Amino acid sequence: MIQVENLEKYFKKTIKQPGFLGSVKSLFHSQKEIVKAVDDISFHVDKGEILGFIGPNGAGKSTVIKMLTGILTPTGGSCVINGQNPQKNRKKYVKEIGVVFGQRTQLWWDLPLTETYTVLKEIYEIDDAQFKKQMAFLNEVLELDPFITSPVRTLSLGQRMRADIAASLLHNPKVLFLDEPTIGLDVVVKDNIRKAIAKINQEEGTTVILTTHDLEDISSLCKRIVMIDHGKKVYDGSLYNLKQKYGQMRELNFEAVDSESAATLDYANTFAANALEEGDLTVTTEGAMVSVGFNTDKISVEKMLNYTLSKIHVKDINVKDADIEEIIRRLYKSGVEDA
Amino acid sequence: MHIFKETRRAFRLFRIFAAQHLKKLMEYKVDFITGAVSFLLDQLVNIAFLTIIFTGVDNLKGWSYYEILFIYGFSLLPKGLDHLFCDNLWNVGYNIIRKGEFDKYLTRPISPLLHVTVEMFQVDSLGELIVGIALIATSVAHVNLPFVWYDIPLAIIAVLFGMLIYTSIKIILASIAFWTKQSGHIINMIYGMNDFAKYPVEIYSKAVRNGITYIIPFAFTAFYPASYLLRHTDPLFSIGGTVIAGCALFVIGLIVWHRGLNAYESAGS
Repeated sequence: MIQVENLEKYFKKTIKQPGFLGSVKSLFHSQKEIVKAVDDISFHVDKGEILGFIGPNGAGKSTVIKMLTGILTPTGGSCVINGQNPQKNRKKYVKEIGVVFGQRTQLWWDLPLTETYTVLKEIYEIDDAQFKKQMAFLNEVLELDPFITSPVRTLSLGQRMRADIAASLLHNPKVLFLDEPTIGLDVVVKDNIRKAIAKINQEEGTTVILTTHDLEDISSLCKRIVMIDHGKKVYDGSLYNLKQKYGQMRELNFEAVDSESAATLDYANTFAANALEEGDLTVTTEGAMVSVGFNTDKISVEKMLNYTLSKIHVKDINVKDADIEEIIRRLYKSGVEDA
Repeated sequence: MHIFKETRRAFRLFRIFAAQHLKKLMEYKVDFITGAVSFLLDQLVNIAFLTIIFTGVDNLKGWSYYEILFIYGFSLLPKGLDHLFCDNLWNVGYNIIRKGEFDKYLTRPISPLLHVTVEMFQVDSLGELIVGIALIATSVAHVNLPFVWYDIPLAIIAVLFGMLIYTSIKIILASIAFWTKQSGHIINMIYGMNDFAKYPVEIYSKAVRNGITYIIPFAFTAFYPASYLLRHTDPLFSIGGTVIAGCALFVIGLIVWHRGLNAYESAGS
């Protein structure tokens, strides 16, 4: 469905000297620097798949999405979506995709929602029967009815996001690009939106590319993720594999009987011989409550428990699996070479 | 066929936005009235100034007071129409590109240029159009027009292509923002030169005269066609020139615009 090969996007950036004099100077001698926002990225997406596209801020996620949606022209490489090149025949191509940018609405601020959809019907040349059918479906999935006659400017963020997603799906696109569709929403609304995306993917077979910083989005929707950092792809594979590969982190949580004894614990020196690296061991102590994150490759659960229990008495203790959030935090920090 | 379909679609979109806009006007009546009145006042100040000048002199380089009123009134028609329909191009130069809002036009299956222009109406410009028509009417009552029937279609052609000159200049200047991120001030500066078009070119130095005839041909939006209607001076130059200038600028506008689309860099999000 989607083939991205060696995609590149470079931006020219003027280096500004600091201060007013610097600004004046750069008017005459501007030094240009080339920023590789997207640097040789390749990946494929199958029809009907939901792909999670993740990476820290400024990693180049949005730039990739903007090239795939025909907004930006790539510096090099190619992307072919459903047999079409987004830049070559833009008008024909965009009829087959839907795009939602969570950060800014695509709706018309002053138009009532119903009118917005009428305009889009005209723009996308959707025939009446198809429009009616799709509206009914979207209404059911995204629950638009309560605010469909209100002007867009009066909608809450959650309503607006639902309205935006509906707008991107009116013409029943084959591929849906969602750039941070849950940003700024509360937990309940986020959950509704995830359910809606899953349902649309199932019922219409829409291929979805999703960028997000919310790892709940990823774990509830995506089987596969592509992670990029500094414009390069650092991981491409299933979420399950990622957990297997980088999921050796455990978290030990316990409450000591008193905070004085908790203060006597010294994990760093005890396990100093285990060749610990950055992030392999983290200890946070709050009074009598202690939380220790550790890498089971370096420190076994048994040794960790033995040491802890030999030193102090505890009221309560548990060992937790690392969640996806923790894994990704580690990946962001270190980057992955052998993905 | 294709062109035909596109045009029909454009008109449909246009109707929807126009209807919505009227509804909005009803909601913000005060804003609309203030806007229209301010445009009106702007023009009245200029006319008062003109009237004061003519209390001292009989004519300006052979043009009488009422003839100048006619030229002035005529100049407001293409300008007002361009204002009414294509005002969103200013926003392209000032904000839309800089803030990355242009993204949405590129994800829609219609021409982004068409999309961005039909989206907004500057109804305040009705003030300009009304003043323009009123001035022409006043002037016609005092000037002996060498009128023949085909002057009416010629006048309409001149107004429409005059509008095209305005719109195309705005397209070219707004497109600069694709490279520089913001070109609103450039539009403002060049567009401001249209004031020269409201008076006979004879009153200007040769440089200015050539500038507004051959470089930024604002003179073809008002003085030349108006002088044809007033005195039947060379129709080929006066009306034909307007048509040619409008078409040529429009072609240049489309080329620059399309180059700009490829250079568009969006904005971070």
